Amino acid sequence: MSAPLLSVEGIRKSYGARSILDIDRLELLAGESYVLTGENGSGKTTLLRVLSGLEGAEIASCRFEGKAVDLGSYPAWLREKVIYVHQHPYLFRGSIADNIAYGLKARGMRDVEREALVRQAIAWAGVEALLDVPAQRLSGGEKQRVALARARVLHPRLFLLDEPTANLDAESRQQTMRLVRDLCDADSAVVLACHDREIIELPHMHRLHMEKGCIGVMPRASACA
Amino acid sequence: MDWLATTREAFALLFSGDAELWQIIYISLRVSVLAMLIAAPPAIALGYFLATASFPGRRAIIIVTQGLLASPTVVIGLILYLLLSRQGIFGSLKLLFTQEAMIIGQVLIALPVLVAFTISAVQGADARVRETAISLGASRAGVAWTTLLEVRFGVMAAVFNAFGRIVSEIGCSLMVGGNIAGVTRNIPTAIALETSKGEFAQGIALGFVLLLVALAVNFALAFAQGEGGTR
Repeated sequence: MSAPLLSVEGIRKSYGARSILDIDRLELLAGESYVLTGENGSGKTTLLRVLSGLEGAEIASCRFEGKAVDLGSYPAWLREKVIYVHQHPYLFRGSIADNIAYGLKARGMRDVEREALVRQAIAWAGVEALLDVPAQRLSGGEKQRVALARARVLHPRLFLLDEPTANLDAESRQQTMRLVRDLCDADSAVVLACHDREIIELPHMHRLHMEKGCIGVMPRASACA
Repeated sequence: MDWLATTREAFALLFSGDAELWQIIYISLRVSVLAMLIAAPPAIALGYFLATASFPGRRAIIIVTQGLLASPTVVIGLILYLLLSRQGIFGSLKLLFTQEAMIIGQVLIALPVLVAFTISAVQGADARVRETAISLGASRAGVAWTTLLEVRFGVMAAVFNAFGRIVSEIGCSLMVGGNIAGVTRNIPTAIALETSKGEFAQGIALGFVLLLVALAVNFALAFAQGEGGTR
């Protein structure tokens, strides 16, 4: 079996006496999708934010693609491979295309190449009809689809999605689910925090159940402390 | 005093292209615009840094900055006068009673306004702005630029407020500028002088211009914010 894409040991985080995360070991494999389930406050969002470097935690050791890495300092090469999408994604002022191009611009990609990728991403997300609508005026579902396209266009190896289908109407939810299913390829992994039964029960979805900051015993996931 | 006649005289001065009057207006705007151009970039950068960084003493610096918002311009003028006067530390630069001295004074007055308003704008920004920019791989400067763009109406309010304060301040300009005709006489110092001489027409004309500048600045801000609100 190939080495895990991400392997973290000893993730601990607490606010005062309250333990938020207490995970002995977590391994994620490329080509696999994982769903984080659990009650509100069980630590799902915090875990995703720690893995994306947006929040700190005590971490005993972490390896990404087999290389040891410090999530606290979050090196640029890791930033290019991991992407986090908020439950309610923020779209910058400007157009949908500006938003999708943002990360590509940050990577210094040439205009011609970038425009082609943005066009493909717009088609993938099915938002061609909304190109003239300012990004901040889109509905929740449309914003979620643009945010997924904005993440996918960067070809990260690990997608961390926080409740992508929460608070969406039925049609938006179906469209978002289609995109989420499409995100994972042989080279990348997807982790979703989710309450959506339909996503949880998708075939090939590994379930990681969180309770009081711990991950329950599940296939390819760790045991709790 | 015949108010009507004086006001008519004031407008006649304005629209007849009275050279002395327009020079005063030019000096006033030149000094304040240059002061803003010098003060705004570093002050906005400092405001962003103080709003987002975490280091010991940060809170104290923010409190001092907010306290300086209320600093009397005449006190800034006095301190600057002491520094620039012949016996002062910077006396050798011979800047006292020059436009440069007025610009320095106005930069000092504008700085706390710009820094404090920028801090407030950036702290009021949605936390997801920075997190999204970081997650999409923006550099530190890129994250700062994106955040400032997202809160640009707050930052513009900082710039317009600071400009309004310096274009109308008199204490510092009078002390370090010296109100020298054709050199350092700006709108506020001229109004004070003309009024003290009983020459109300020029005072009214200049007051009208100052009011117009203040209104124009506020209209510009309201227009920009209105446009932003409809996006």
